Amino acid sequence: MDELPSEVDLLIIGTGFIESIISAAASRIGKSVLHLDPNDYYGNQWGSFNLQALLDYNPDPSEPCDFRNKSFSLKNFHYEWLMEDQKEDLLKNSRKFNIDLTPKLHYCRGDFVQLLITSNIARYSEFRSVTRILTWLNGQLELVPCSRSDVFASQKVSVVEKRVLMKLLTSLDDILDSENTHNFKKFLESRKLSDNLVTYVMAMAGATEHTSLGEGVKSVKRFLDSLGRFGKTPYLFSMYGSGEIAQAFCRLSAVFGGIYALNQQNLISLDSEDNRITSLTTTKQQIRAQNYVTSLEQCSEKFLRPVKINNYISRAILITNKSILPSEQEQLSFLIYPEGTERIINVFELGSLTGTCPKNYYLVHLTSKQVTTPQEDFKGALGNLFSGSDQPQIIFSCYFSIPETSDLDFENVPENLFLCPGPDNDLDYNSSIQKAREIFEKMYPDLEFLPRAPDPEEIIIGD
Amino acid sequence: MAKTYDYLFKLLLIGDSGVGKTCVLFRFSEDAFNTTFISTIGIDFKIRTIDLEGKKIKLQIWDTAGQERFRTITTAYYRGAMGIMLVYDITNEKSFENIKNWIRNIEENASADVEKMLLGNKCELEEKRQVSKERGEYLAIEYGIKFIETSAKASIRVEEAFFTLAKDIKAKMEKKLEASNPPKGGHQIRATDPQKKPTSWLSRCTLL
Repeated sequence: MDELPSEVDLLIIGTGFIESIISAAASRIGKSVLHLDPNDYYGNQWGSFNLQALLDYNPDPSEPCDFRNKSFSLKNFHYEWLMEDQKEDLLKNSRKFNIDLTPKLHYCRGDFVQLLITSNIARYSEFRSVTRILTWLNGQLELVPCSRSDVFASQKVSVVEKRVLMKLLTSLDDILDSENTHNFKKFLESRKLSDNLVTYVMAMAGATEHTSLGEGVKSVKRFLDSLGRFGKTPYLFSMYGSGEIAQAFCRLSAVFGGIYALNQQNLISLDSEDNRITSLTTTKQQIRAQNYVTSLEQCSEKFLRPVKINNYISRAILITNKSILPSEQEQLSFLIYPEGTERIINVFELGSLTGTCPKNYYLVHLTSKQVTTPQEDFKGALGNLFSGSDQPQIIFSCYFSIPETSDLDFENVPENLFLCPGPDNDLDYNSSIQKAREIFEKMYPDLEFLPRAPDPEEIIIGD
Repeated sequence: MAKTYDYLFKLLLIGDSGVGKTCVLFRFSEDAFNTTFISTIGIDFKIRTIDLEGKKIKLQIWDTAGQERFRTITTAYYRGAMGIMLVYDITNEKSFENIKNWIRNIEENASADVEKMLLGNKCELEEKRQVSKERGEYLAIEYGIKFIETSAKASIRVEEAFFTLAKDIKAKMEKKLEASNPPKGGHQIRATDPQKKPTSWLSRCTLL
């Protein structure tokens, strides 16, 4: 096998979402990029796995080394077969699963979709619209109306209520100026909205009882802004899982000369001198670069002080045998499940049309801020959604916690080393794109971040 | 806008570095040959529309972008591929031996019914040949796929190879179409998608 180059402009370790965007952006402006990953798969904690690979997933590899930082690995990883008799059939179809550690949705008019279009990366990926948005109210699932037809079909929104809501929404901008300190829910209630409407608007905002008016209004506006572009709801989901997205950026990086090598078990250390990284030492060679980017997960503890993780994200992955709300056509559902007064559980229910699970099964992702353990955090919701005789049955479940690292700060990090946090608890990628852009701009001020890539027919190779 | 083709086939090129994948692609798409592009910078895929049995078929042929070098082809590369050209270099024994690994890779990542074809490239270099034509044929039979020796440089049978692969995909697809209606795929986001910017977000708020 070929040798890796010994000198590049930018050396990146880790193929998570943020690292991959930076890689693409740097290659795109002509920087030589070497992009390595100690793992033999793309994506780190943003990756997706087939079923067998998920079962084999080992969040705590035996020896810690300079490129595996245990503080940032997944915690509480545990899976279980609840219906053993289905195990064989599911494992036979293992490859039809694309199971995300960190599934995300995209706002149809959000920064991510905009970036895909302006950078021409959209050609690497396919998307499906989320077909319905659900919430949980008075012990049952409710459809959140997103379109005119939804509203007409809904028995739960009266003409009067529609008028009240309209008045409220038209005045959102003024409200922000005048009542910024208020609580979002209390505000909605003060406007004489019925319980149903309050619940719907709260769901649109992904708001809890503690959400401030400012945040709530901002989120509702984002929701409404993204309506009517693709499909019936404001959200898109990546076919074959969100893990494809990091790979799409890696592909773009490679198209512009980025060199990729996964499964790099032979990395020894990042060497520093005078608060600068000088080189990467592997068992075979030394590689020098001007700048270095690594994922926190794959960054030596010696550069990361102090490490204190305050928050975790609770995750559950379920395989079920039918939809939580069966309908004639297969649905891609996003359920906003309020749990208690301060937590929202985001639930994605994906069918086979998303390319993430075989026919006749559903893949269900639950994500929430962690309070105790993933099992405990989702116990109530699972009890409500999956225990009745006419409700879907859980065949397989997997739980884990993701350390929330997006808000961490470290002291005395070498000046040419840039750290990429792992996944955050947001519904979408916006903050992560922002992070990637910030790092790019620190390294290459005044250069364009992901300008449009040319179409193949625009490239003319001269003789 | 009227569609200018009847079918769109996504094809992939796969094989070791240096076997001439990009040259094969350029020979077919541009009828050009250039030894100076060593790596494949900026080449994502190439398009050529061909006439086949009265149908216009748009072939979108993807190159590996150099990600074969350290075997880091993304799983995303294989999505939706209908045909794969497995390419080796007849003057390079190793590239021929590796075909087996590439087939394993395809089995793990591509759809099960993807149409495959084996190409022994650089057949103009007869004096440097390391892999006999018979061995190529034998391997192809073993995997139940078609085999052709080509030369991108001398423009030998490259055309024939792509037409053969396209024909087999077309036949398979039409057979499937008769059997059932194809499932709906996902959607690609394009810059040409409606990007109307209404005066305010409220005009899109269909709740109202």
